[in-house]
Amino acid sequence: MKRMSLGLRFAAWASLALAALMPAHEAHAAEPSGPALLNAKCSTCHARSETGALFRIDAQRKTPEGWMMTIDRMQKWHGVILTEAEEATLIKHLADTRGLAPEEAAPFRYAVERRTLVETPDDSDLAAMCARCHSYARVGLQRRAEGEWRRLAHMHLGQWPTLEYQSLSRDRKWWELASGELPGKLAAKWPLVSEAWTAWQRHPTASLAGRWRVAGHRPGKGDYQGVLTIGRGNGEDRYSLDYQLTWADGTVERASGGAVLYTGYEWRGAVTLGNERVSEVLRLSPDGTRLHGRWFVDGQDAIGADMVAVRGKAVIAALSPAYLKAGETRRITIAGSGLGGTVSLGADVRIDKIETATAETVTVIASAQAKAKPGLRDVAVGTAKASGALAVYDAVSSVRVEPETMLARLGGGGAPVPVAPAQFEAVAYMAAPEGEIRIGPMPAKWSAAGFDETAIHDEDARFGGVVSASGLFTPAEAGPNSKRNGNNNVANLLIKAEIGDGARVVEGKAHLIVAPQRWNDAAIR
Amino acid sequence: MKHLKPINKKARQMERLAEEGKLDEARVMQVVNGCTSTFDPGWEVDPFGGIAALCQPVEADLYGCADPCWWPAQVPDTINTHPNWSAEAPSGHRDWRNLQPVFRKK
Repeated sequence: MKRMSLGLRFAAWASLALAALMPAHEAHAAEPSGPALLNAKCSTCHARSETGALFRIDAQRKTPEGWMMTIDRMQKWHGVILTEAEEATLIKHLADTRGLAPEEAAPFRYAVERRTLVETPDDSDLAAMCARCHSYARVGLQRRAEGEWRRLAHMHLGQWPTLEYQSLSRDRKWWELASGELPGKLAAKWPLVSEAWTAWQRHPTASLAGRWRVAGHRPGKGDYQGVLTIGRGNGEDRYSLDYQLTWADGTVERASGGAVLYTGYEWRGAVTLGNERVSEVLRLSPDGTRLHGRWFVDGQDAIGADMVAVRGKAVIAALSPAYLKAGETRRITIAGSGLGGTVSLGADVRIDKIETATAETVTVIASAQAKAKPGLRDVAVGTAKASGALAVYDAVSSVRVEPETMLARLGGGGAPVPVAPAQFEAVAYMAAPEGEIRIGPMPAKWSAAGFDETAIHDEDARFGGVVSASGLFTPAEAGPNSKRNGNNNVANLLIKAEIGDGARVVEGKAHLIVAPQRWNDAAIR
Repeated sequence: MKHLKPINKKARQMERLAEEGKLDEARVMQVVNGCTSTFDPGWEVDPFGGIAALCQPVEADLYGCADPCWWPAQVPDTINTHPNWSAEAPSGHRDWRNLQPVFRKK
């Protein structure tokens, strides 16, 4: 097998944006269209029915990542030969014509945004059947006809025949369930034909070229805001990107890259930000004025940032900082588009001074009254409104570490699979009669300890890795460790964050598993 | 458990959970998305949500488990998809540094 560079191997999802980065002559000029490729490359095996439908292909719908995984399998399993440009064209065509409506993808966006969380499957039978090896989201981001769900069960048994002998397979009539009643259940829950998709196919796709106001937050680093200039790229729904970002500490960064808009709303960008190559997974609002989602570092997807981009008149993107303590005076920046008019930060908050007031930035010095009522405030700049955008608090009542349950992976040690770090963040909450209210991320003092007696006995905190002052956990080396009786540096850890609130210290905790490396991976895990 | 006697730590944990009526809880222990939690054990966590009952080190008997596709989401399945994955690492324990990631080419 020809060896590819690691950067390329681990940046697979970035390939969804690659078409945007290719020169026109490579990407499109001489390339066949999506329908032509389906005919030339796919229909040789996927026969057409009397109605012209392609066997299997026309009985399923997926995200761009889902189609990318399918095309990858067709290459690995069945020897399909495609150029990069052909593959990009096919993914785009399939996601556009056999995709998911925004509301169909919404519950499972975390999987394509590469967020780590503990899933809460709404069907325990499906979870036991499907989500023991991969995420529930991988299934929930597909739509198939019943026969097609059944073929998927057959595919699983054919490709991974020992599936029948796993726990929760061997102890029941697994194959009868998997191939019998389950496909019907899946087809009822996640059907091929839906009103949402039928309606979305009629939705016009917006052009995104122009100037956008950007804001966001990167755990471990802080808030940022800036301007994104989107230019037309080489081809339909393909764009060039130019970012000018300013971080909360004043650092200014330029970034550039390209993006593709799939299915009329699924934005996939590939951007170079300083020394980092990052992938963007954003969702365009139906009215075409707001992009929001997450970007992450290629190969280290636990490291990334939330992002929102807006355009148009009278719209607020974000506040930084987005909280104010009772009795405190701070500078607050409101980023938005088409801003103008009177600034309001809600009850008990006084605007002492307006430092900047442009259409894109309003910077104020604001004071919260000493007896300000704790809670969320609606923010307004003229007619631009942001509901509950400012948290006013009197005391930090608790700290939650995000992600609350996390995974990092051993790596390196002279081997080609790098470590997969984990980025934590300490988020402060205030007490309220209706339940705790989120204040926002705050600087914290970080430490790691064994999660339980076994972990303490096995010195997991010593071997597993280190957590930095910014909450970044860097796992230890992969491979057997002679200092640990030849075991790996796997660890079961409690990650602690301490936030200072006046003279008080408030502590939060997270659970971190430091797991072995993975040699296999997927765009949707 | 009348006729079976646990002989290692994992088995003793299982016996204790069985006695406490918590075996089902252990089996459906939830982990983060994309992790394999299956009982035998999982790749990232054991049935108790910890790591003490994992196969350790993973390199010691990697092929014994990986060849029959035990964790196909994390370890290349050598039955169908990546038959030559371990060709340059005859001994997982000794040669694991030669094992390449197979995540799809760009």
